[in-house]
Amino acid sequence: MKRRSLVTWLLTRIGWYILTLWSAVTVAFITFRLVPGNPIGAYVTQLMQQGKYEINPVEAEKLINEYKKTFGLEGDLLTQYICYFKEVIFHHNLGVSFISFPTPVQVLIIRALPWTIALLSETTVFSWLLGNIIGIIVGWKRGTKVDSVVTSLALVFSQIPYYIVAVVLILLFVYITGTLPPRGAYSSTLYPEFSLTFFLDVAYHAVLPSLSLILVGLCGWLISMRSLAVSILGEDYLLFAQAKGLKEHRILSRYLFRNALLPQITGLAIALGSIVNGAYLVEYVFNYPGMGYLFVTALGRLDYNTIQGCVMLTIFTVLTAILLIDITYPLLDPRIRYGGE
Amino acid sequence: MNNLARFNLAKQVKLYITKGIQDVLRLNSKLKIGMLILLVISALAILEPVINQAILGPISPITPGIFKPLLKPSREHLLGTDLLGRDLLALSLHGLKYSFLIGIVAGFLSSFIGIVIGFISGYKGGIYDSILRTITDFMIIIPTWPILAILATYIKFMRIEGLAMILAIFTWPLSARIIRGQVLSLKERPYVDLAKVTNLSDFEIIFLELMPNILPYIGVGIGNSVIGAVLAETGLEVIGLGPGNIVTLGTLLNWALGFGAVIMGNWNILIAPVLFLISIFLSFNLVNVGLDEIYNPRLKKVTGE
Amino acid sequence: MEKVKLLEVKNLKVYYNSIWGDYKSVDDVSFIAYEGEVLSIAGESGCGKSTLVDGILGLIKPPGYIPSGEVIFEGKDLLKLSSEELRKIRWTKIAYVPQGAMNSLNPVIKIEEQMIDSILDHTNISREEARKLAISRLKEVGLPVEVAEMYPHELSGGMKQRVIIATAIALKPKLVIADEPTTALDVVAQKGILQLLRSLKEDYGITVIVVSHDFAVHAQIADRIAIMYAGKIVEVGPIYDVFKNPLHPYTKGLISSIPVIGKSYIKGIPGLAPSPLNWPSGCRFHPRCPFASEKCRNVEPILKEFNSERYVACHLSR
Repeated sequence: MKRRSLVTWLLTRIGWYILTLWSAVTVAFITFRLVPGNPIGAYVTQLMQQGKYEINPVEAEKLINEYKKTFGLEGDLLTQYICYFKEVIFHHNLGVSFISFPTPVQVLIIRALPWTIALLSETTVFSWLLGNIIGIIVGWKRGTKVDSVVTSLALVFSQIPYYIVAVVLILLFVYITGTLPPRGAYSSTLYPEFSLTFFLDVAYHAVLPSLSLILVGLCGWLISMRSLAVSILGEDYLLFAQAKGLKEHRILSRYLFRNALLPQITGLAIALGSIVNGAYLVEYVFNYPGMGYLFVTALGRLDYNTIQGCVMLTIFTVLTAILLIDITYPLLDPRIRYGGE
Repeated sequence: MNNLARFNLAKQVKLYITKGIQDVLRLNSKLKIGMLILLVISALAILEPVINQAILGPISPITPGIFKPLLKPSREHLLGTDLLGRDLLALSLHGLKYSFLIGIVAGFLSSFIGIVIGFISGYKGGIYDSILRTITDFMIIIPTWPILAILATYIKFMRIEGLAMILAIFTWPLSARIIRGQVLSLKERPYVDLAKVTNLSDFEIIFLELMPNILPYIGVGIGNSVIGAVLAETGLEVIGLGPGNIVTLGTLLNWALGFGAVIMGNWNILIAPVLFLISIFLSFNLVNVGLDEIYNPRLKKVTGE
Repeated sequence: MEKVKLLEVKNLKVYYNSIWGDYKSVDDVSFIAYEGEVLSIAGESGCGKSTLVDGILGLIKPPGYIPSGEVIFEGKDLLKLSSEELRKIRWTKIAYVPQGAMNSLNPVIKIEEQMIDSILDHTNISREEARKLAISRLKEVGLPVEVAEMYPHELSGGMKQRVIIATAIALKPKLVIADEPTTALDVVAQKGILQLLRSLKEDYGITVIVVSHDFAVHAQIADRIAIMYAGKIVEVGPIYDVFKNPLHPYTKGLISSIPVIGKSYIKGIPGLAPSPLNWPSGCRFHPRCPFASEKCRNVEPILKEFNSERYVACHLSR
């Protein structure tokens, strides 16, 4: 009985996942095609304006058709749609990129992904841990001087966009003290390899981008943890735990932290799932060769296939992360059972 | 019935006026600071033409080549000039005006959509709720900023209204979710049942019974939407994807980055846009937090109201 | 039979700070609870009963505060103890059955674990012994052993209330304070819980203070009753005497508003309960009192001895 309902629930949930995934990628796909302006036309015009090619309109038309074929823009919307997803699903092929023609998009993504994953998983986990620990402490000590100072500071910092913090940090550390490198993921004199020198160089270059992401991210987690803690402190079971005369550390860990952590775990999972997004603007400001930088560069050059590939990947990982949370959550919270009420 | 409705309305209005006055008299400090910053920003944005008239005369602040490029801050140019010889203070005020305007228009538009959808979803329930909630959740889950960026890439020139509209389309789901939750919980309160029993129409119930209680949350929703819209717009501008014809704080940051102001340490180019942006985000957020603290049901529970 | 004072509350005030001014929820309350009795505190909702309990237990949180008063338990003023001293007294000496038992159990921890927590933090026994103790207490309150392994959401309201009582008597305290122990329970569960509370006194000799707005509860369980109105105690006495011959006009009103089988209508008390933000001057009941005189409007009556067992705060009582 129980097992059957669990299986039904899992199947429904996975079916729902597939449906959401399908509609999201379809919406994204159609958005790309519906945007006014013809990217290939724009590209060819650009080439002509740059004076690289002297082409008459007839030849331009031919060139455009040639390009359309290369970039999978031939035929009506439905043909393109079927064609694209056939390639993606069966050949893991996301098409040819503009920005480094004729490299396929998946190669570009695989090149950028490790940088982004390394930078963002480290900063996400760090800021999550620190934010939650400080958040629960100031929540517990709510109303004190420490709480009001820390919380006000966090409130201010959490509202500053990452890239603005990045800019300020660069001003401070690069211009004024000249201690840290402002751009790139490693020194141009080095070549990627598995060596300590290279690893240290990467870490050295990651200090400023990480710092700007952690500073803001930490404050966000801190604020949400504090408000969760404060709302749980108002719960009857916390009052009862205090009336029971439990020791402070026990109340803090078993009654407050455990209950407050549950929503934060969801938040962490979603944040980890969105990592492949890259941190668009921070990577842009630091010229950090990750997914965000790839995406922004592709946007700037109207690279259809690369943009599409990045967005599709993001949608896929975010939705998959949410699916995984839904499946694991009942293990953490006994109130939620598979299959619901 | 009409008399009851009128009586209720009069009662509500009176209650809200007295309560409103009391609230303003004993404002929460976060709300107070937030409103103060907001007031200063709005004043700067509204008075921008007057101030710039005083600084520059009839010339537009974005016209290049009026002054010498890259002047250091001085008595004539409080923040100096940029690479194209424009007065940075005048330029930043100009940017502030448009960032603020776009944020406000988009914020209100997006909250309006959010409120309508949240109300229908929460109040009507059933199939309406299922459909609208699915759409809302979908919009929250999928990464909207890249899609917004793509749209912006292809639409190079647009009017402020158009830009605000596009931003609103991508920022409404959060306020819809907040409003729906509130309507759902309020709907179950006894006085709504009472209103239903006394045959008030849906319209009357929404405006007389629900709306006044949801007002603070609408305020919070608008604040969040404004922040979201300014954030998204600035983000687009910073990477150079915003509409080229509108100069906002994001555009200024983009210019500064492109010119290398950060690396070369030209803090005077960055300081005003950075401070203005932080003030916009901070003020709306403080107002939100303040409103939440005042209207938090837990606080009311404690005081035994 | 000599009565021994167990708990004495003296001139206790509990106020809440709000942006609209101080809520004087409990305003100068004094009473005594004797060893081995069931004392009831009755009053309309909003009169400060629950705040009084929180004040006695030291559970007042900002924006609430205690401007003055004493809570003397076994000769010590609880309000003057350090938080660690207070923590040690809690549960070993004074246990609490909170209002809203529905939400008083941690939703993500098993029942036995929650009981074991409270045993371990006050004794030196091993975890295994604590578990045995918890399970035996669950049996004593009439719950099946399986409950120990369950989570709160798997239990009914009545069962949760029993779990809380089992937790409360785990260490055999001297005093159990139950705040609205029967609200939100169905009639059958209510009866069971009241019998259980009564048995605490009869079987273990525990003093029980029961707070409720429901006179039916007091009639079934109490030895003595204290009537609270507008943050003050207006009348105290043995339950039978108070029901038979109420002295304060408010008590009279309350008792005549209890529905009685065979009577066709219920007499309520006219007017609304006043706000703790702005209590009426003089006797706080005067705006609703049919016998109010000029003195009642201006002079606040104090709680005076009526006879050796009964006290009343009314200018009219002789």
